[in-house]
Amino acid sequence: MNGFSLAWRSVIRKPVKSVLLFVTVFTISLLLLSGMSSGKATIQMQDRTRQAIGAGLVLEENEADRHRRIDELSERLDHKEGSLGGYHQEKITIDGVESWRTWTDNSFETLLVEDIEIIAGTEGIADYNITTVTTAARPVDFIRIEDEDVDQYSDLGGVSLIGNKDMSMDSEFLSGNAFITEGRMIQEGEKDVCVISSELADKNQLETGCKIRFGNCRDKEDSMTYEAEVVGVYQVNRPIAPYMFGDTYRSENIIFTDLDFPEKVDGKAGDPLYEKAYFKIADVNDYETVKKSVMGADIAWERYDLIDNNGNMDTLSANFNEMEQYSRVFVCVISGAGLVILFLIFQFWMKSRNREIGIMLSMGTSKIQILAQIMTEALMTAAVAVWISFLAAPGVTGLTADYLAEQQIQSVEEQNLLDEGKVAFSYEKSEQDVVGVQAKITSGILIQDAAGIALLITISVCISGIAILKRNPGNILQDL
Amino acid sequence: MILEAKNVEYAYKSQKDRKVLKNISVRFEEKKFYTIIGASGAGKTTLLSLLAGLDSPTGGTVLYEGEDILTKGLNYHRKHHVSLVFQEYNLIDYLTAEENVKLGGAEKPEELLSKVNILQETWKRNVMKLSGGQQQRVAIARALASNAKVLLADEPTGNLDEQTAVGIIELLKRTAHELGKCVIVVTHSKYLANEADEIVRITNGMIDS
Repeated sequence: MNGFSLAWRSVIRKPVKSVLLFVTVFTISLLLLSGMSSGKATIQMQDRTRQAIGAGLVLEENEADRHRRIDELSERLDHKEGSLGGYHQEKITIDGVESWRTWTDNSFETLLVEDIEIIAGTEGIADYNITTVTTAARPVDFIRIEDEDVDQYSDLGGVSLIGNKDMSMDSEFLSGNAFITEGRMIQEGEKDVCVISSELADKNQLETGCKIRFGNCRDKEDSMTYEAEVVGVYQVNRPIAPYMFGDTYRSENIIFTDLDFPEKVDGKAGDPLYEKAYFKIADVNDYETVKKSVMGADIAWERYDLIDNNGNMDTLSANFNEMEQYSRVFVCVISGAGLVILFLIFQFWMKSRNREIGIMLSMGTSKIQILAQIMTEALMTAAVAVWISFLAAPGVTGLTADYLAEQQIQSVEEQNLLDEGKVAFSYEKSEQDVVGVQAKITSGILIQDAAGIALLITISVCISGIAILKRNPGNILQDL
Repeated sequence: MILEAKNVEYAYKSQKDRKVLKNISVRFEEKKFYTIIGASGAGKTTLLSLLAGLDSPTGGTVLYEGEDILTKGLNYHRKHHVSLVFQEYNLIDYLTAEENVKLGGAEKPEELLSKVNILQETWKRNVMKLSGGQQQRVAIARALASNAKVLLADEPTGNLDEQTAVGIIELLKRTAHELGKCVIVVTHSKYLANEADEIVRITNGMIDS
């Protein structure tokens, strides 16, 4: 009779110990699955301030991920001056006091063109547009619109440039807020062209075919200027929301350009800062299907928000406050507690089977073979428990993810109440509601769970088995 | 000579100064039925444990067919050279009579069970549901299942009534005389001791000459 035959007989015919292990492993496995899937959960959110227009999807940078990347890079630089991945830090001394200056460049902030192109290649996407960040530029041979009652001392004294790959898909034109009154829109591939507001055209008596020059707004000593031909004039129904405070960013001073023009004027040619991308869906009836396909694209999604035409977006738990961290802690606590509980169970197994172990040893069975038999029994029971936990997991993981998300929302709300009026944010918080949590159990999670349980059992059986390995059969039999 | 204790000494680790066995030398042969007798605490069971390879002596050697049992290891000795029967039967409690005998290495456990007078209807019964006498017979059948030439028994009739004990003694005698094994039994029973071919008497850890 081999060890395996003995093992299954023991599992079935000594049900109390098997049931005890079964229930424990089932619970640990279920909790581990819940923790792991919550860590990878998708939080469905609705943004009341950002929506894609028409049958399209908008890709933007995820603010939480941006902050996390900054923290990571700062940690990697380890309190030393230097640059990493578009993040820079240097030590400065002001009035004898040392402090740090940190900043990021365009390569850190921009949407990645390769990711945009991967999404654009998804079946069902008809076309796409890339829009640059609003870039301040100094008007060289024309005058901007100013509010005469406002002190312009703190203003940059410039106009705003917005570059588009395909201007017809810019959000202002897509929504119908802006429209061309003279000339045409900028076409894809054109260089050094712009479309100005009717107010700016009137003030400077500009018309299509005219050329206007721009200089670097921040570096006034930079004598380099760049010329763009006016190919169109636009009007708006209601003023375009300013990017920042001041006349530089006022609606009338916004000038639409080709995609590469703003970076050139800003002295950063070849180092663009793309703020958003718009993907036009070919058939509106396939909207949800295409959206799902896009979400399946193999890109680093934690870096982005994908916003649909209802303002819905799926946020990874990594970007949802501290949900991923909470989930990780949850998994660690369950693993630790599981190890202790399993160790105690196997101690109980060993103690209650002292006689059997003594008999086996007296028959010449090696200690390793006895441990292997106990391990086999444990793994057989655990395999059934883990398998059943896989079946039960979809229901329970959803509840756990919901609970963790709710806890997060609650703690953020409490923090916001505490911070009210005390903390200033470096970025504008968008108004978002959680509309659902989706915790999927992937095959990777199942494998990790099964491997984790097997590891916990192996460790606890081995630790519990030390007592057997240390004693000789004579002592064990004498104790009976 | 199949098994020999040569100048064997033993002391517990916790009481190194107090020797349980003192310079014991004794030889055992095949086809013979031996009993080891002595007062409680004389060292009978300790000697049996050392002969069985359940522990190693603190002095001297145990030889099997002239070779120190430590050469091939105690595990090997227990597996191939000796088989054991205990007072408490020591059967695996979740196996049937048949499976317990199989565990001893028998390919046809029914033959051995018949030989020790276990009725067929109990072969597939869990051993915990058998009487004490039946359990001890199953334990002997399991010991016989191995090809070991030496059968060691520690108080095999200690928990049995007189009539059942007589049956077990007969069985052990037949094992020695008919199957040609060397049977060594530790006992308090005078009746059992008198049935032996040779008696080894131990007093205060030494053999009475």
